[in-house]
Amino acid sequence: MSTTGARSIHPAEVAISLVLLCIGSFVIYETQGIAETQGYSQVGPRLFPYIIGTGLTLCGAVLGWHAIAGGWRDVPLDQPGHDAPDWIAPAIISIGIVLHMVLIGWAGFIIASTLMFVLIARGFGSKRAVRDFAVGLALVVAAYFLFTRALGLRLPPGPFGV
Amino acid sequence: MGTFEALMAGFAVALTPINLMWGLVGVTLGTAIGVMPGVGPALTIALLLPATASLDPTGALIMFAGIYYGAMFGGSTTSILLNTPGESATIVTALEGNMMAKRGRAGPALATAAIGSFVAGTIATILLTVMAPLVVQVALKFGPAEYFAVMVLAFTTVSAVLGASAARGLASLFFGLTIGLIGLDSQTGQARFTLGIPELLDGIDVVVVAVGLFAVGETLYVATYLNRLEDKIEKMKGSIWMTKADWRRSWGPWLRGTALGFPFGTVPAGGAEIPTFLSYSIEKKLSKNPEEFGKGAIEGVAGPEAANNASATGTLVPLLTLGLPTTATAAIILAAFQQWGLQPGPLLFETQPLLIWGLIASMYVGNVLLLILNLPLVGIWIKLLEIPRPLLYAGILIFATLGAYGLRNSWFDLALLYGIGVIGFVMRRYDIPVAPVLVGMILGPLAEQQFRRALAISQGDLTIFFTQPISAAVFAVTALVLIGPPIWKRLSGRKVAAA
Repeated sequence: MSTTGARSIHPAEVAISLVLLCIGSFVIYETQGIAETQGYSQVGPRLFPYIIGTGLTLCGAVLGWHAIAGGWRDVPLDQPGHDAPDWIAPAIISIGIVLHMVLIGWAGFIIASTLMFVLIARGFGSKRAVRDFAVGLALVVAAYFLFTRALGLRLPPGPFGV
Repeated sequence: MGTFEALMAGFAVALTPINLMWGLVGVTLGTAIGVMPGVGPALTIALLLPATASLDPTGALIMFAGIYYGAMFGGSTTSILLNTPGESATIVTALEGNMMAKRGRAGPALATAAIGSFVAGTIATILLTVMAPLVVQVALKFGPAEYFAVMVLAFTTVSAVLGASAARGLASLFFGLTIGLIGLDSQTGQARFTLGIPELLDGIDVVVVAVGLFAVGETLYVATYLNRLEDKIEKMKGSIWMTKADWRRSWGPWLRGTALGFPFGTVPAGGAEIPTFLSYSIEKKLSKNPEEFGKGAIEGVAGPEAANNASATGTLVPLLTLGLPTTATAAIILAAFQQWGLQPGPLLFETQPLLIWGLIASMYVGNVLLLILNLPLVGIWIKLLEIPRPLLYAGILIFATLGAYGLRNSWFDLALLYGIGVIGFVMRRYDIPVAPVLVGMILGPLAEQQFRRALAISQGDLTIFFTQPISAAVFAVTALVLIGPPIWKRLSGRKVAAA
């Protein structure tokens, strides 16, 4: 199961380990800024952050060591698709999500969500933009009325003010 | 009030038209999302949390429970016809059931999975009914030290024991615990790790984390790695009904699968993966025709499916009696309880008996509904598999962003959702389990509270955790499950080497 090439270094795994190490150290560092008020319980709000920060730092260190010493342990190999990633697809999808976040406040839920729907379908390789638009609009309008009218959620109506 | 009277009172609650309706909505939705690849019960319940906050908790929780075990039924349909297991617990079903479908026996495979799930679900619900009051009797004696001890046990088993690597599981757990720290400290009201951002004072909502990891992360992963691969749906040919021989070969595996699955669900060792594999190998050993295994043996579908379902119901024992979630979905259901200010545990059996027993009673009803939904109507569910991938994932993201934005109409939650989605993508790609994140972030703050309460009682004496018999015993078990498996692995490895 595990890769056993003793000298192979896995850059992505090293990077993730370093991120964990940094978050853990940051948690420990930030904890010093929390005022210690002991009260009855003898332990204040600092103890758990210290424990958790230390735990995360240790996990990052162990994983980092694994990553430079032959790779993480017991990683399932031969996962379908891992050898041929398609980075265009997640890029288009990310644009869709970010646009939705920017638009929803003033263009409203229906416009922002329909646009996102079309972009995500495009990201997954759909060439039928008209169909995507029609399906997306129908779904979004149905969801809007279901959640605002039947379930009492607040969603921005946008310029049409429905 | 005896258990039987309590259960009857529960049926009176579960059988009111409105709660029956919620149950039906739950199991129908559960079956649908179980069938659809890319959507699971944890994601669905998380999405519905903001929308159900104003509803009556009994009805909403009946619906959530229906989604939970309904998804188990629906998931087997996808495994058998598509050979893509929705979760690790259905890997075996995907293998053996898909082989049956390839040989034109999709119908009996679906039938034995559905009836097996019904048998296992019903027996497991009976066991839950009997066991829950007994566990509650013990749990009533629990103080903060004992609660802290069982929470540590749950942390350990969820992260270090399950899954391929203890290091990655623990990293995931500590990441979840870190998320749980963000916000106001429950005891002193101090802000922790809010980085001066006012939106973070309330902490990060579990909806955002669950939906980000499961919906956004999964969508990005499928788009990047799997979109170019074709899915092959097996056609439903011939009769759905099982022959006499199929029945004869199925009932044993159903019962044995249930007997394996339920205990694994109840102990905080979560995850139905182990009992399904155990059930598969036992059925292979007991079978008169072991050569059929791997080519489509009906026992290999019946046993693991029953084990999977019984384990799912078993998970509700620690959740309802101790407030201890051991799977991602159970953690979300705990968050659902919290949204109405309810804390599952022994006290809830005394303060809200109608809610708890109504919920348990609804599961008997739900299992019958699911059998009807999944046998004669299976043809409808198969249609869901034909939704084109672009539309399916675009639709998932519509509901994901709706759920996150609906919390408090803030773009900040959408930004957080996307950020956590990217983290989920990385975790999925590098085989880091996500369930420990959710268990850590939901259970972490509760564990801290119990720890500080325990020390308040003992006036700062740390030995309280080891001098109380129950808590000492639980810590001993924790040490055992942590140290045991590696030692066992080493010993058995030596045996293999010697042979």
